[in-house]
Amino acid sequence: MSGATLAIETSCDDTCAAVLDGDGRILANVISSQGIHASYGGVVPEIAARRHLSLLSVAIEAALADAELTLDQIERVAVTQGPGLIGALLVGVAQAKAIAAARQLPLVAVDHLQGHVAANFIAPDPFEPPFVCLIASGGHTLLARVEDHSSFKILGETLDDAAGEAFDKGARMLGLPFPGGPPLQALALDGDAAAFDFPTARNVGGCDFSFAGVKTSLLYAIRDLGQAATSERRADLAASYQAAIVRALTERLERALDQSGLDRVAIGGGVAANGPLREAVVALGAASHIPQRALCTDNAAMIASAARFLPDCSAAAALALDAYPSGGRR
Amino acid sequence: MTANAILAFDTSTAATVVGLTVDGVLCAELADRPQDGERPRHAERLLELCEEALTAGGLGWAQLSRVGVGVGPGTFTGLRIGAATAQGLTQAVGVELAALSSLEALALAARRQYPGSRIAAVADARRGEAYVACWEPDGSQTVDAQACAPTQLAALLAAGEAPVIAIGEGALIFRQSLESAAISVPDSDSALHSLAGGTLCQLAASARPSDGASLIPQYVRRPDAEIALEARTAAND
Ligand SMILES: [Zn+2]
Repeated sequence: MSGATLAIETSCDDTCAAVLDGDGRILANVISSQGIHASYGGVVPEIAARRHLSLLSVAIEAALADAELTLDQIERVAVTQGPGLIGALLVGVAQAKAIAAARQLPLVAVDHLQGHVAANFIAPDPFEPPFVCLIASGGHTLLARVEDHSSFKILGETLDDAAGEAFDKGARMLGLPFPGGPPLQALALDGDAAAFDFPTARNVGGCDFSFAGVKTSLLYAIRDLGQAATSERRADLAASYQAAIVRALTERLERALDQSGLDRVAIGGGVAANGPLREAVVALGAASHIPQRALCTDNAAMIASAARFLPDCSAAAALALDAYPSGGRR
Repeated sequence: MTANAILAFDTSTAATVVGLTVDGVLCAELADRPQDGERPRHAERLLELCEEALTAGGLGWAQLSRVGVGVGPGTFTGLRIGAATAQGLTQAVGVELAALSSLEALALAARRQYPGSRIAAVADARRGEAYVACWEPDGSQTVDAQACAPTQLAALLAAGEAPVIAIGEGALIFRQSLESAAISVPDSDSALHSLAGGTLCQLAASARPSDGASLIPQYVRRPDAEIALEARTAAND
C-alpha cells in the first residue's frame, strides 16, 4: 500500500477517522455522530469535546480495520487544525500529533474549509480545478474560487448566520428537531414552495450572503398566521423557507460564475446534502460536481484528500502544532 | 532484563509538566510554566518536552514501558490534551498507560516533607472554587477529589487529629480561608505548590494500568449545559 494517509477530523460534533490511498481512493471513512446534541437544540462545545475524547480511538481503530491496514502501512497522518470548536479540535490534533511523533510519520495540518473543497478531489471521479465552490454548513457559508488543489480564494461569505444555522433556526420555529435541515426538507415535500414569498437578501452585494432577513420573515409569517393556521400550513412554510435559502445560495453561485468567468461549480458542507439545493446546482447548466452526501457533511476522508496536495509539517512544527478556532487564521 | 522506562506528564494546570525515569532513576524533569496571565501552552509544548526527555534518557518512544498521564482534576481543555496525547501514544506503540490523579501527585511530594501531617492538595477550579482531595499520614485518601467553595474547605479538611498542610495553586489562592481554619500553607515560593515530573513518574510506577482506548479525565464537574438541561426537564415534569 503506497501513500496511505490516516486522517482525523474533530472540528465540530462528528468524530471522524478515514484512510485514503495514494491515489485519493477511500479505503475507510468512519463517522461517529455523537447524537447527543439534539436534546440541547445545538452543539454544546464542552459535551462535543468530551465525546471526541471517548470516541476517537475507537473511530481510528475502526478506520484501520475497514481499510484492512495496520499503522505499519500508514505513511502519513493528517488532521484538521481549524477552524472549528477549539476544545473539540484539540482532541484530534493532540492524538494525531502523538501517533505521528511516536510512529515517526509525517504530519499534515489541514484547514477544515480546504477539506470541504477537497471532498471534490476524491477518486474515482475527481473534479479538476478551476471551479467555483460553494461551502455551506451550520458553521460556515462561503463561495470560493478554486484555482489549484491546495488553496482557494474567498469570493463571498455570510454576513450573519450560516446557511445551516438558518435551516436550524427555521426548523426550530416550525417545531422541528435539531439539526433542522433533514426534517425541514422532509416536511417541505408536502408543501408549496411558492406559498410564501420569503426574501433572499438580493440587496446584499457581490457574492456575500445574509440569512437574517429570511429568518425574520418566517418569524413574522408564523406570528401573522397565528397558532392554528401555522400548524395547518407548516409544510408550505417549510417549503417556501427552504426555497428561499436555496435561491439565495444559487443566486450567489450564479453571480460568482459570472464574475469569475468560470463555468465549473462544486459544492460541499452539510447543507450540500440538501436535495433541492443539489437539484438547483445541477440546473445552473455549468459543469457541476456534487459529492455524495456522506462526503458533504463533515468527514475525515476530505481531510485526507486535502492532505494529498499539502506539504508535510516540519518535524519541529509537527510537535508544536496547535489548533485554531472559528474566525482564526486560515 | 529490559529497563523499566516511565514517561509521565500532566497538563491539569497552566503548566506542562514532564518526567522520565529509567529503573527508578530520574533522567529528565521538564516543565513549561506560563507567567501569570499567560495562556497555557499544552498543545505546543507537551510533545516537545516529551521528546526532549526521551533524548535526555537516550530512549525512543517504542522503548517506553509505561506512560503516566495526569487526569486531573483541572482545566478541561488541558486534561483532554494530555489524555488524547496518551491515547495516541498507546495506539502508536502499544505502550501501557496509567491514569494519575494530579492531586495525588502533589500530595505525594508533600508527604515526604511533612510525614506526620494530613496533606490537602488544592487546585484552582476557577469560578471562585477549589478542587481538593486529602490524604492521611499513612497514605490513605480520606477526601475524594471534588470542587468546593473556599468557605467549605475548612469543614471538609478539619476532620482528623493530625495537623493539615495544604499545597497546590488552590492553596495559594485560598490561603486566607485555609489559615483561618488552622490549616498551614507553605510559603508561596515552595516547590510543593507545583507538580514535578519526577513525582509523576513515581506515582505512575505504582499505579494500576488503565484502558488506553478511552482514558477519561477526572472532570469532577459536569458540563454546564447538561445541568441546565436537567433543571429544565425537572421543572417541566
Ligand atoms: Zn464542515
